[in-house]
Amino acid sequence: MGMLDLVQNETIKILRRRRFLVILLILAILIPIFTYAQYRSVLTAQEQMGTSDWRALLQQKIVDTQNRLASSRLPEEWREFLKITVQQQQYYLDHDINPMAPGAPTFARGFMDQAISLFLPMIIVVLAVDLVSAEFSEGTIKLLLTRPVRRWKVLTSKYVTLLLFTSLTVLMTLILAALISGVVFGYAGWDMPVLTGFEIAGGELETAGVFALPQWKYLLMQYGLGWFVSVVVGTITFMVSVLVRSAAAGMGIMMAALISGAILTQMASSWESAKYLFVVNLQLTDYLAGTLPPIKGMSLPFSLTVLTVWGAASLVVAYAVFIKRDVTS
Amino acid sequence: MTETVLSIKGLRKQMGGKPIIKDISFDVYAGEVFGFLGPNGAGKTTTIRMLVGLASADAGEIHIGGISLHKHFPQAIAQVGCIVENPELYKFMTGRENLEHFARMSGGISRERIEEIVRFVDLQRAIDDKVKTYSLGMRQRLGIAQALLHNPKLLILDEPTNGLDPAGIRELRQFIRRLAEEEGLAVFISSHLLSEIEMMCDRVAIIGKGKVISVGLVKDLMEQFGDQVEWSVSPETTEAASRILRALPFVEEAVASKEGRIMCKMDTERIAEANRTLVLQGIAVLGIAAKTVTLEDLFLALTTEEGGAEHGHAGPGAK
Ligand SMILES: Nc1ncnc2c1ncn2[C@@H]1O[C@H](COP(=O)(O)OP(=O)(O)O)[C@@H](O)[C@H]1O
Ligand SMILES: [Mg+2]
Repeated sequence: MGMLDLVQNETIKILRRRRFLVILLILAILIPIFTYAQYRSVLTAQEQMGTSDWRALLQQKIVDTQNRLASSRLPEEWREFLKITVQQQQYYLDHDINPMAPGAPTFARGFMDQAISLFLPMIIVVLAVDLVSAEFSEGTIKLLLTRPVRRWKVLTSKYVTLLLFTSLTVLMTLILAALISGVVFGYAGWDMPVLTGFEIAGGELETAGVFALPQWKYLLMQYGLGWFVSVVVGTITFMVSVLVRSAAAGMGIMMAALISGAILTQMASSWESAKYLFVVNLQLTDYLAGTLPPIKGMSLPFSLTVLTVWGAASLVVAYAVFIKRDVTS
Repeated sequence: MTETVLSIKGLRKQMGGKPIIKDISFDVYAGEVFGFLGPNGAGKTTTIRMLVGLASADAGEIHIGGISLHKHFPQAIAQVGCIVENPELYKFMTGRENLEHFARMSGGISRERIEEIVRFVDLQRAIDDKVKTYSLGMRQRLGIAQALLHNPKLLILDEPTNGLDPAGIRELRQFIRRLAEEEGLAVFISSHLLSEIEMMCDRVAIIGKGKVISVGLVKDLMEQFGDQVEWSVSPETTEAASRILRALPFVEEAVASKEGRIMCKMDTERIAEANRTLVLQGIAVLGIAAKTVTLEDLFLALTTEEGGAEHGHAGPGAK
């Protein structure tokens, strides 16, 4: 009757329903496709440059930047930013890294940038959407609620299991992205410096605080943010699973929400209050990479707050409804 | 004094704005099979849902083994095993995995106990197959195994014979009698068939439109409303025939309903004996029809009786 026993039950059910297997399969099919696409674009880029001598090209870039630094009319903070850029490019040269042809860690970084707002949330939805509703539609909820376990405990065991598998999913995304892409691109580049520390002030990108981070550290931060997004999307899906009995309906609701979020973000909306929607706040890695947010007034702390509030509210609703609701039919 | 395992007082529930359960009270004792009899839509399943914690009551009290279900849900429900409507199981898991899942929710159940219960319901051969390959009868047995796994004091079954063939029903009946008589369980069974309750139960509560109409011994009920036999005789001998029938020790009542027709309250197994007596006394018997009382007849009789008063005595099941 302990929580551990209940979590064990839920874990066995997720595994027996082959939910996690499906997710691993989706990753194992999609990552090679993206790897190949990346590989083609590297080839194209090299063809356009005529030769594939990226070293000469990079050397030229460094010289250009240094020339600009020599002129004294530059503002101080801009000068700092350029210096760090030069350091980064110099690192590529010294360590023989072609920035156009990424290694496994660079691929994994690009993959999370792309996956965080739609692909990753979608596979979390697959994991969470029938966690509760399947028990209702299959009638097995009667087995769970007629045992000497309080309802809040039953729901908590399901939520804990969801958190467990969400974390595993994010971890497996990183592992599979690195492992599979490395076959083509090699496994180098973990220490490669990546620029971060951008800040947004008054709708402009501030480069004053920019610094270079070893790529492995950057990856940890990035996948940490990916994990956070996954937990919030998982929590909201969990609530939908409590409220909606049909898995198909739940899936429809979540997919519609995520896709409209992607569209709203693209529209660089002038509708400012859209920034309070959770679906517009999923692209957390953009704050690390220094891309301007889709709507004015958004920042990393802002997005984290919005997501936390949505997640917490979903949990409250899920518990309140699950504990009070009569089980009929 | 027999132990009261289940006690219900003044249970009420509204659903969709309509009162569905209006006032239900009765007690169930250890070692008895208690029938919960009522037509479809009477509120049997709704009542059972409240008994097992699936739905909350608007008013009234439920005590299981003396513990309030509302106040101490885990302790109270730990003493209950149930199948509400169909035995719902995880079809994508094996029978054994289902029992293990259930054991982990109940706590303190050993591997040996699982083996024991599997033997008890005779599922040894199929226990490691996925439940989706089971027949309905096998699912029913796994459902019962699941309901009995934690040695409950009270077993609640909602229309358990639904979907079973006659052989399955006979088997279930023997099984339930054995549980009550040998293991001392209180078994609570709902049904809409009087014949089923008559065969399985010691006592019965009759429910209609969310109200208990009558609680008492099945034996008393059947004596009061039991089998009737309709005799057809030649009209001019109606009086004489009634007198002869009434004189027989096993005939409780003999009423001439119209010319040539006599309604008898009597055991149908003694029709031949009564017939012989009539024939020997020179009555020409034209026809004999045994009428088994149905739930509808019973309802009619009980509800037209003033206020639908209790019949018999509602005391502990005397055996
Ligand atoms: N969710 C519900 N909302 C409103 N009325 C309901 C609901 N479920 C059942 N009922 C009504 O409650 C009554 C009792 O149903 P039920 O307990 O299933 O009867 P039984 O099990 O005796 O056949 C029926 O008239 C049914 O229409
Ligand atoms: Mg019913």
